[in-house]
This record gives sequence, C-alpha cells and structure tokens, in this order.
Amino acid sequence: MKELSLNILDISMNSVKARAGTVSVTLTETDETLEIKIADDGCGMKKELLESVTDPFTTTRTTRKVGLGIPFFKMEAEQTGGFLTVTSKHESEFPESHGTVTTALFYKNHLDFTPLGDIVSTVVTLIQGSPDIRWIFVHKTPRGEISLDTDELKAVLGDVPLSAPDVLVWIGENLKEQYETVGYN
Amino acid sequence: MTVGELSKKCGFVTVCMPEPDREVSGCYIGDLLSWVMGRAQSGNAWITIMSNVNIAAVASLTDVAVIILAEGVILDESVVAVASQKGINIVSSDVPAFETAMKLGGCV
Repeated sequence: MKELSLNILDISMNSVKARAGTVSVTLTETDETLEIKIADDGCGMKKELLESVTDPFTTTRTTRKVGLGIPFFKMEAEQTGGFLTVTSKHESEFPESHGTVTTALFYKNHLDFTPLGDIVSTVVTLIQGSPDIRWIFVHKTPRGEISLDTDELKAVLGDVPLSAPDVLVWIGENLKEQYETVGYN
Repeated sequence: MTVGELSKKCGFVTVCMPEPDREVSGCYIGDLLSWVMGRAQSGNAWITIMSNVNIAAVASLTDVAVIILAEGVILDESVVAVASQKGINIVSSDVPAFETAMKLGGCV
C-alpha cells in the first residue's frame, strides 16, 4: 500500500472482526527501525488458520477467495529487510487469554521502505468506526512518545459519545499537537 | 488475441500457462500491488517486475489474462506452483516494461 497507516487500518479491522474489546496499536521507532505491533483480545485463530495466514489465498472472507491484508504487510516489511510475525491464541483453547498479536519490523533507511503516512487519520478512523472498542495507541519515537487511550477519554467525556464529530476532531488535533510537541515529522 | 498467441508473437518465455486460450484486451503496468488491485481490468495483460506470491493473488482478484514479468524477472518455483494451480498465466519478457508494452502494441 502507499502508506503503512493504511496497512495498520487494514490489520486493525481484523481485530474488530475478531470481536476484540481492546486493541493496542504500538509503533516503536529507532533511528533505523520501525516496529508496528497490533495486539487484540479478540477470538484469536486456530492453528490451521494461523499457519496459513500469510498465504494470500487464505481469507476469512466469504465473498472472495483472496485475502491480502497480512500478505501485503509482510511483503512490505520484508522488502526493507524486516519481517512479520503473527501469534494467536484461539478462545476455544484459551478462554481467559485469547487474542492475536501481529508484529512487523521495518528498516526505515531501506529504499523500498513504505512511508508511515497519515497515522492520525488512521487512528481517528478506527475510533470512529468502532467507538465501543478500547483503542490504545502509542507511538514511541527517539524524540518522545505520543499516546492515546480511549478509556481515559471516555472517563473525561462522561455521557458524550466517543464518535461525536467534535470529539473525533479533538482527538485528531490532540494527536497532531503531541506529534508537534515531540518534533516528529 | 489469446494469451498463447500473444506470447508467441511477442517472443515472451512461458513461465506457466494453464489457460492459453484466455483473450487479452488492454494492458496495465504497475508494481505497487494494492494500486494494481484497484486498477487493472479483467482481461488485461499486466506488466510488472514484482515476483512475490502476492502477484498471483492480485492477478486472481483482478482477473487479468496474463502477468508479464519485465526485465527477465525470475519467479520462485513455489510462486509458479501456486500460479499454475490457480489458473494464472505468467510469461517473461527480457526487456523493461516500456519496451515490453511496445511489443504488445497492435496486439491488444
């Protein structure tokens, strides 16, 4: 994809479909690398699905036979010399601790590194689309940390829904301010 | 023109051709797979330099008639196996995308 933010959006939608209650999107950056980790407490995957999850001809879709979310993400990581791993615990085997963790490592200085792009819009879009999920977004950069936890926002908002247009605009602006404060570009 | 005829006429090397009688119409050139996914048309000849297994999936989704690998790009055997199994035609051209497209001129 043209931006890694779009991959993050795409992979996070898997967590939504897996009926996650909490989804953590964690970006950890050094001068050389970017690690993107998407962790959820959704239903998880059984071993057979997990083993074939990077195969583009595997999908949970019923409308078509091809699923490219994880295959694209993996390819983009590998193009930079990095890698992608997926671990998962299915609810049938792990009733108390199920969920899926997708981790991708990118070497930022590689010519084929896909830029992160508009991560703020991605976070806002995810919250807007699934306001009942607890979204925890953390971006650790060498200059400082940007973070957002929708549970903390809900505590402040009271009866105002997270999906209210004003709230979503505020979330976007707050994230942008945090990025400006740490001097990230 | 069919994929089999086109390939012969343009001097492409067959990588795998499970469906040589597919009709080819038009051409699309691109390497950013998510981009190609939304733009290549059914029946197109798709020229790319990408060699990941995902090209077979994109070809399947877009229903292109044939993938033409430009610049003599070599595929891993596992990719060829998947493509054959999924009915994806793949041929190889030893010249860059532009020259490859020039060869197609008048055929598609």
